[in-house]
Amino acid sequence: MAWKDLLVERRSKETLNALLFFALALLFVFQFALDADRERLAAVLPGLLWLAFILSGMLGLGRVFLVERENDCWEGLLLAPGDKSAIYLGKLAGSLALMFVVEAIVLALFALFFNVDLVPVLPGLTLVIALGTLGFAAIGTLFAAMTAQARARELLFPVLLLPVLVPVLLGTVKATEALLLREPLADVAHWLKLLVAADVIYVVAGLLTFDFILEG
Amino acid sequence: MADHWNFVAAAYGLAVLVLGGYWRHLRKKERELMTAGAQRSRQPSSSGHPRPGPAARHPLQ
Amino acid sequence: MTTLLGWLAALSLAVGAVMGFGVAPREVTQGNVQRIMYLHVPTAWVAYLAFGVVLVASIAYLVQRRPGADRVAHASAEVGVIFTGLTIAAGSIWGKPTWGTWWTWDARLTSVAVLFVMYLGYLLLRGMIDDPERAARYCAVLGIVAALDVPLVHFSVYWWRTLHQPPSVLKPGAATMPPAILAALLVNLAAFTLLYVYFVAKRVRLLRAESEALA
Repeated sequence: MAWKDLLVERRSKETLNALLFFALALLFVFQFALDADRERLAAVLPGLLWLAFILSGMLGLGRVFLVERENDCWEGLLLAPGDKSAIYLGKLAGSLALMFVVEAIVLALFALFFNVDLVPVLPGLTLVIALGTLGFAAIGTLFAAMTAQARARELLFPVLLLPVLVPVLLGTVKATEALLLREPLADVAHWLKLLVAADVIYVVAGLLTFDFILEG
Repeated sequence: MADHWNFVAAAYGLAVLVLGGYWRHLRKKERELMTAGAQRSRQPSSSGHPRPGPAARHPLQ
Repeated sequence: MTTLLGWLAALSLAVGAVMGFGVAPREVTQGNVQRIMYLHVPTAWVAYLAFGVVLVASIAYLVQRRPGADRVAHASAEVGVIFTGLTIAAGSIWGKPTWGTWWTWDARLTSVAVLFVMYLGYLLLRGMIDDPERAARYCAVLGIVAALDVPLVHFSVYWWRTLHQPPSVLKPGAATMPPAILAALLVNLAAFTLLYVYFVAKRVRLLRAESEALA
């Protein structure tokens, strides 16, 4: 399932390109809004980074079930034999791969444009980003399936997603902030533990409840 | 410290308005349904959930 | 039965008001504005109770598929959202004279605000799905996920506000509470809980009548 989605992505590439251009546009907006005020920039950089990740992520996740919806293959998903959780994991893996690629490029662009040296904190940063993205995609995949059949899904999806993801938002921004201030990772251990707990809860919830979404 | 009775009144007044308004809303809908139900023959559905018909637009929302 | 419940609720609310304004003394630090607590804390409690009921009813629905469970979840979410909104409003009104501002990103207010938006989303989801059976199923899933998320939200917001930052907010009902104040609070808690049960019972009855009318 994940492989199929990746293949679809590789062939069309439209989502990836669109997301990258979107992230680039965000970067410009941030720069203009903050006007190279170095101190203000340093303070809000973690928030801006995650804002870019989240906005791009929501756009990408909103399209997770687009193929099935546009091509009337929703029934195909419903009738697929075996455990529906496999579909969930497949979609999740596909979303994760997409988001990681976008995030890596956005991170590099951020470091470049805002002149921030990320190399010393890269391992810690990678961990935080991985944890945050997993939580984001776990709930996002579930909610994308739920809103695929709803009216006003483009509005409903972010409205449902964002409040539920507040713990992930807070955890990742705070941990990123600490890392960029060169604080040791151990200082933000509680945030990391929260992110891990959230990830576990979200993935398990997704696995357990996806069957109910794909019943009809 | 001043007592700010106007704030107390505002908070409780708001509660009365909202909760009272909700109660009136429920009563109104109940009355509407009772008059509508009296004019209709009742058919219990098998699953308890109304199935959307071809028109698929519920008159009561 | 529901009518009896309604009268009980009304009576207990009256008693609660008497307790809150008559029996309970004027608070030492804040003055009489503290009496908002007899409204704010009970509505907050009811809000959490309501969403706990949404969780249980949602699980029950997914397991048993009884429409009654779905109706309880729906009704409880609706009443819960109302009480959550009231909690935020009362908290904000209380905050203005005591903290000097209408809103502050204090841990408790922020948590409740997130709760509010989550369950507003629940009601929105219901409104946006045409098929009632699918709406029931999807909302059950959302109800469960949202409820599981509540403790995570609490911790994250609490840590966000209190670590590296000295707590600067007045916490209602801290360590020792004079017995008269505690008694008034408990009576109001019971009264608002009764009101919640009455509203949910009425709403469930309405939902059942609505679904029967459309069948």
